[in-house]
Amino acid sequence: MRSTRRTRTTARSVIAVVSLGLLAGSLTACGSAAREDTSTEKSGTVTWWGWTPELSVAPQYIEKFNEEFPDITVKYQQIPIDGWEAKLRPALASNTGPDVFGLAPGAMFEQFGRFGIDLTSQAEKALGSDWKSRLAPIGVAGLTDKNGKLRALSAGSTFAGPVWINQELFTKYDLTPPRDFDEWARVCAAFAQHDVQCFTQGVAQTAFNQDTLQAIADTINPGLYTKATRGEARWSDPDLVAALTTWKSMFDNGIMQPGALGVQQYPDANNQFMSQKAAMVMMGTWYMQYTRTEGMTPSIQAAGVADPKPFAAVPIPFPAARTGGTPGALFGDSDYGLAVNAKSTNRSAAITFATWMATASAGQQVVANALNDIASLSGVEPQWDKIELVNADVQRPALQEVIAASASVTENRLLSNAALATAIGVATTTVAAGDASPAQAAATLQSAAEAAGVAFK
Amino acid sequence: MILSVGLVYICIGYTGYIATLDWDGSAPDPESVGLANFTRLFADPIFWRAMAHTVLFFVVTFTVQTVLGIVFAVILHSRIRLGVLYKIIIFVPVVLAPAVMAPVFRQIFAADGQFNELLRALGMGSLAHPWLADSATALPVIMGITIWQWTGLTFILYYAAMSQIDPEVIEAARIDGAGNIRVLTSIILPGVKGTTLAILMLSVIGALKTFDVPYLVTGGGPNYATEFLGTYIYRQSIPLADVGYGAALSIMLLILAVFFSLLVGSRQRKDA
Repeated sequence: MRSTRRTRTTARSVIAVVSLGLLAGSLTACGSAAREDTSTEKSGTVTWWGWTPELSVAPQYIEKFNEEFPDITVKYQQIPIDGWEAKLRPALASNTGPDVFGLAPGAMFEQFGRFGIDLTSQAEKALGSDWKSRLAPIGVAGLTDKNGKLRALSAGSTFAGPVWINQELFTKYDLTPPRDFDEWARVCAAFAQHDVQCFTQGVAQTAFNQDTLQAIADTINPGLYTKATRGEARWSDPDLVAALTTWKSMFDNGIMQPGALGVQQYPDANNQFMSQKAAMVMMGTWYMQYTRTEGMTPSIQAAGVADPKPFAAVPIPFPAARTGGTPGALFGDSDYGLAVNAKSTNRSAAITFATWMATASAGQQVVANALNDIASLSGVEPQWDKIELVNADVQRPALQEVIAASASVTENRLLSNAALATAIGVATTTVAAGDASPAQAAATLQSAAEAAGVAFK
Repeated sequence: MILSVGLVYICIGYTGYIATLDWDGSAPDPESVGLANFTRLFADPIFWRAMAHTVLFFVVTFTVQTVLGIVFAVILHSRIRLGVLYKIIIFVPVVLAPAVMAPVFRQIFAADGQFNELLRALGMGSLAHPWLADSATALPVIMGITIWQWTGLTFILYYAAMSQIDPEVIEAARIDGAGNIRVLTSIILPGVKGTTLAILMLSVIGALKTFDVPYLVTGGGPNYATEFLGTYIYRQSIPLADVGYGAALSIMLLILAVFFSLLVGSRQRKDA
């Protein structure tokens, strides 16, 4: 009896060990198997993951692409930016990743750039040997690694710096967009009298605090903020302390909405602006998509408004920190590049799609017309006669001005050093909360930047 | 057996291994750093803040949930009218997903939220302020939400435990002249001691694992004022891609959870 039981136990153990062995073996096999390309340049099925563009925009790109390449099926999946890294990292590390994935410059590029194939030859094939001169330099530089490999092709660029205003609220209360902080405080006091929130920002989502701080700093000492991120200036520089002081003043002089430290930029601040509860919001050129009637209507609906009525959202230069100063410049990067997964089994078709989107006139035109991004390919501008703006008379000149100004931008927005980005975020929130003075926060930020590996000259 | 070993113990072992690496979670060439991640952990002020928040969170939520759970259970054992309705009202928050409720609480406790409106309506407008934006009040709000969510479970456990107490014992005590308080302290509370210890263990582990409510409502802010071990592990492992350090924090969480489970378990055995 005992012998039979022992035999059964042994048999179970053997089955368990063999099962584990088979499992491990199959996993190993999965990991090491060669990934053959099953597609061609003109046919195949391409999966594309991105946090942007929106689900209302991506089908426009795919539809246009399919006019030229009807036998390539592109399946787009939008993943919220909050969960992007959590989803992409294991997918790319295993064999379950998409064929094409969105890749932003900065920290994201540092993490995921290596998973994309080098697309230099594709760019050269599409645009000729002078391909670099035909693409936005800021898009090429941010998506090229230390070894000179182009890991993604920029689909378009975005820039931060502007403040977006609800023109209709400004008109209704006979107010003029502010050019400096004094004017801004007066405008906010006027809105407060009408029980309208003046400016909204989700300070709890610290990445957007960097935009505001950089915009303030650029009105005080243009380029100094960027120099500090590169170690060419110290964070304790008096002008950067002044920028933090100005940032703090926004919480004390009625510009920033009460409770901003507990508000997220998305969805809270965005919803406040879209539902017309706030007259101004700190957003970048990605907000251009909401100047189109078809872009704004669903966004207002998503903000909880039952009967959405589009309004004229207009970008204005960031008000100057010092009275009479020059309103802020733009800073930005490629919004996203299209990277072709090195493990893709539809590589040829994926390359065709990524290259078409970023280098073909037709691809870049549909990007430009969507107003989600500013086209990477030089010479491609939005076809205004084909774009239905909410209020073209007011919005079109402002958009054209921003797009023209973006061509000369040299300052980056996204940082490759995630620890430095975190430290800047902490500096902004500690100052805003009154837990540290601007000078103390700047000194702490300097130490944190050094600890994060920034080499200061 | 395969599931248990494969999914739990191998994963724990692998996490322990990752904790010795400087790794972003996907690079093919992780660097071995020995115990450096653990050394860093003990010198990390945010880790200690997260620990302090966890301890405070545990003490407050356990105490309040236990008291409320007992009170509700006692009241509903006294055969009040509409008892079933009250039970449902108390228990409903337990089944509501935090992801669903988080935007609601963000709205309620916003500067222009309903909680401040209520305070103003009650003539306490001077107390109104942005609760989630203030480092001093964000953590109490998180604790309040947790208490609201989990008191229903505590109540159900106590309600079930009290059903096991022999009514004749309570009857005999009353004949001997015991009042309500005496019956509660001398008969009911000792009778539900096992349940209290079980809730204690669940609360300790729950506090150590706290993630969803602070992540969804405050994101761990402002200024790490609502940072817990769970949110800090996520922050390090995913947005900052410091997976090695995140793994070291996870191992620390595991050690603490096992330690406190053993501590409470030994107390249970002693009582038995």
